[in-house]
Amino acid sequence: MILNNIYELRWKVLPPAAGVAMIGMAALALITAPTEVIEGDVQRLLYVHLPSALASYFAFSITAICSVLFLLKRDFKWDSAAQGAAIVGLIFTLLTLLTGSLWGKPIWGVYWQWDPRITTTLILFLIFSAYLIARKSTSLDSDKSARFSAIYAIIGFLDIPLIHMSVRWWRTLHPQPIIAKLNPSLPDEMLLVTLFSVLAVILVAAWFITLGIETELLSQRLLKLKAIAKANISEKS
Amino acid sequence: MSEVGFLFAGFAVFWAGLFTYLVILQVRIRNLQNQVDILENTIDNPDEI
Amino acid sequence: MTFPTQLEIGIRLFEANLKQAWRDKTNWMTAGMFAITALLLYSFAFNLTGGLVRNLLPGVIWTVFLFSGIFATAQSFQQDRQQGILDALKISPIHPMTIYIAKTLTNILILLLIEFALLLGATILFSEPLFVPQLLLIVTIGTIGYTALSTLLSAINLDRDNGGLLLPVLALPLLVPLLIASVEATSASLQQEASTAPWILLLSLFTIWSAVIATLMFPLAD
Repeated sequence: MILNNIYELRWKVLPPAAGVAMIGMAALALITAPTEVIEGDVQRLLYVHLPSALASYFAFSITAICSVLFLLKRDFKWDSAAQGAAIVGLIFTLLTLLTGSLWGKPIWGVYWQWDPRITTTLILFLIFSAYLIARKSTSLDSDKSARFSAIYAIIGFLDIPLIHMSVRWWRTLHPQPIIAKLNPSLPDEMLLVTLFSVLAVILVAAWFITLGIETELLSQRLLKLKAIAKANISEKS
Repeated sequence: MSEVGFLFAGFAVFWAGLFTYLVILQVRIRNLQNQVDILENTIDNPDEI
Repeated sequence: MTFPTQLEIGIRLFEANLKQAWRDKTNWMTAGMFAITALLLYSFAFNLTGGLVRNLLPGVIWTVFLFSGIFATAQSFQQDRQQGILDALKISPIHPMTIYIAKTLTNILILLLIEFALLLGATILFSEPLFVPQLLLIVTIGTIGYTALSTLLSAINLDRDNGGLLLPVLALPLLVPLLIASVEATSASLQQEASTAPWILLLSLFTIWSAVIATLMFPLAD
């Protein structure tokens, strides 16, 4: 009940909070935060890269939780929520990979590394892309499609730690030249800016997820209304 | 590209990505809402078609 | 229904599935042909006649197994669905897990036959000792693992519009741990390294995890 009330407030709270936080984050990241000694100014990409990664985990967690709730309650609003969150998760995963690449090129000299975290992120992207493709591209009865996609989302989500572990073992067997760590221990100011950035991006993610859920709910409502309208017309004729 | 160039490219990608997605979502919601309204109208007032 | 009864029904279902697979051989023969063709293609693509065989063979073998296996299991429930058997099973007191296990065991058995045959052929083609107990064990464990997941996913018959490409797209990202463990175990076994046993253990853990999760999730698919 309380959660419902909080959810009602989303349009009033999230957009302004997210907007303000993001502007603050930009200022902090680009101006206030101290320049890192070893990597230079490019290191500031940490303030968009790390929050994007965390935002994507946040979004996919919501997808997994909503999938469980859908299977338990069979209420389609949870299926819509899962889909809305998944799209947002994919966007942030893509942003994580892109910002990571742009950070990697000046630091490591290459746009890509087969580092366990990066590789796992790519596989994460594939899994939830597959989830959305499976959910959307079907001429089958949507009840089944929703159920099965929910199962896939749950298995996919649970598989992530395993994938990370196995890729790490794979990498230690086939070592590459040593790469610079992305997060050397952060001095306090940088830590604060990082935390603030994470907060800002998670607010944006939450906002986008609510928008995504709204989109999915409207789509479903539209389908139902079309069916009713069709039935009415054929009744008349 | 200089180091700072990559920095700005990274931030640009990030912000552009978020803005683009926001715009897409808003447009889609508006379209869907319009269609829903039209259909609801049609169903509630069948004689006005 | 009691467990012994379920077990008995499960065995009968298993037999029925096998008979059905025997009657409708085309699916499985296509998978077998695909496996052979893919293996040959890899031989040309990676020049497997030379000294690199030992390094590349584990990867080649397992990608061939995974792809042909997934394509083959894609139609697992197709006939059952078309003939209304699946609906009949659903309303019967047979537990869904029994249905799933029977179907999966059928798939595993047939895939193992194809894979062992392929290993025999590869032994001759590449002059590598592939038809040995340790390797056969690795192949068996790995096959159980990936078949468990792909059979579960094949129950999701969302494939009419996609030309059969959806199942590999869904299954392969989830099978990455299994693939890594299988390839490493195979590689270690071929090179007779000490790390073979740990990798086999890891592979077994992944397989058990896949089988348990798939078995638990199947009833939810109804």
